[in-house]
Amino acid sequence: MSILFSGRVTSGASAHKIGIFRRFVMFWVNHVRQAVASLGELWRTPSASILTIGVLGVSLTLPATLHLLVKNVQQVSDSFTQAAEISLFIKEGSSDTQIRSLQQILQADPAIARVSHISKQQALDEFATVSGFGAALNYLTDNPLPDVLLVLPKNTQADSARELLARLSKERIVEFGKLDIDWLTRLDAIVSLLRQAVLVIAVLLLGAVLLIIGNTIRLSIMNKKDEIEVMKLVGATDAFIQRPFLYSGIWYGVFGGLLAFLIVEAMLWWLQGAIISVTSLYDSDFSLQALSFTEFASLMSLAMALGLGGSYLSVRRHITAIEPTGP
Amino acid sequence: MLEFADVSKSYPGGFVALDRVSFKLEKGEMAFLTGHSGAGKSTLLKLISLIERPSVGRVLINDVDLSRIRRAHIPYVRRDIGIIFQNHRLLMNHTVFDNVALPLVIEGFSGKDMVKRVHAALDKVGLLDKVRCLPHTLSGGEQQRVGIARAVVNKPPLLLADEPTGNLDPDLSKDIMRVFEAFNQVGVSVLVATHDLGLVARMKYRTLTLKQGKMINDGLLQYQEDPL
Repeated sequence: MSILFSGRVTSGASAHKIGIFRRFVMFWVNHVRQAVASLGELWRTPSASILTIGVLGVSLTLPATLHLLVKNVQQVSDSFTQAAEISLFIKEGSSDTQIRSLQQILQADPAIARVSHISKQQALDEFATVSGFGAALNYLTDNPLPDVLLVLPKNTQADSARELLARLSKERIVEFGKLDIDWLTRLDAIVSLLRQAVLVIAVLLLGAVLLIIGNTIRLSIMNKKDEIEVMKLVGATDAFIQRPFLYSGIWYGVFGGLLAFLIVEAMLWWLQGAIISVTSLYDSDFSLQALSFTEFASLMSLAMALGLGGSYLSVRRHITAIEPTGP
Repeated sequence: MLEFADVSKSYPGGFVALDRVSFKLEKGEMAFLTGHSGAGKSTLLKLISLIERPSVGRVLINDVDLSRIRRAHIPYVRRDIGIIFQNHRLLMNHTVFDNVALPLVIEGFSGKDMVKRVHAALDKVGLLDKVRCLPHTLSGGEQQRVGIARAVVNKPPLLLADEPTGNLDPDLSKDIMRVFEAFNQVGVSVLVATHDLGLVARMKYRTLTLKQGKMINDGLLQYQEDPL
């Protein structure tokens, strides 16, 4: 495009009357070339690049780790909510017939999935084997344990389970019912608090990433002030001058994201052994959740978006500000 | 081609760098711009390359009023003007080839077409054998010629030079001027700012002389009767 001299052939593409498709291809080829060129630029200043990438990696590691923490705690609490079971303790002195008829009535209840009966004797036997007080129990003259009906609600959500509990507690032969759900709601509340805290910390750290990249790019713009002036004097548009800096921002994001991913993986590997020994003590089938592919992809795209955003903020301000001062 | 119509330029603080300067440079014409330092030579070149805007008056290139050019379009105007700088302003950590190719890369040239043009430009200034060198391995005169190659590589219709022979010895200066003459002979308008009056007088071209912002001479300069 020539403003002053109409008809003057200036661009390489229009000089050859290249078709739209070729131009489209060339557009992407040029972008790839510039992306590779900015990668080379990072390579030429290794110490500065490594420092920036290190800071980014560490800053991105923290939100990623917290996210994993929340995810794993949630997994634990989820597995508990699924097992919301109501224990109905039967009054002392209720006959077997009464218990059996109650069990049949409950069986027919549409809100209940399954009812099982643990008799006094079964309870005592189980207690004897599990607790290890077997020998001591032999000294008891009678069985202190009540009959128990274990009720598994169809709807395992906390609220509906609690409603069911209230209803079942009114049964005549039921001493009281117990639903161990209070601590679950507390756990839920703690998890959601944790999640909010993670969100706040993540936002702060991601803001820091934005500023770090912005500042790094600002420094490299300042380092190339002369070069930018020359480019402006020979007719480069701001967009043209900006592009390599935007690409370096994206590259910082890519490497920072990869570093964060590697740190998180290393941390998981390091903690795996310790966590397995803890969970095996609790006899739980808990398995440590690593980053899924989607999470990895979002970590990377977030890092790249931050890189691009940070460099864009800085480039917009500083490249327009540099004007050649004299021929 | 290039026209100044009653152009004045004053800077904040009241310093008047140019005072009602009018002249016209025709297509394919070559002229010198002389005057002491501070006479307004640089300001005049800055107005043409849109680094500065005039306070009063109009600068026209090819009958296009530069005051109508918006900021976003300045780069496109600069692509039509080849500028040669006194301190040649090369990118020192790039090869001669990269330096000369810069204006072409900016305009979207690539591949063989670009290589061909770069080689042609370097051939004209006689530096084809230094394509792969870094600028700091070249002598001052060679660096200046690389700057000239960069200015002409995209064949601009107008060529500006600011003290192109500023720190060169007389023989090298003459060589550089020959290069400008060669471009002028193929139809490029050339305006060379210089204070090397001896050279100007020997070359016998139209000479514009500035003194304290005023145009005091427009025509052939007689070296014997120093007008300054």
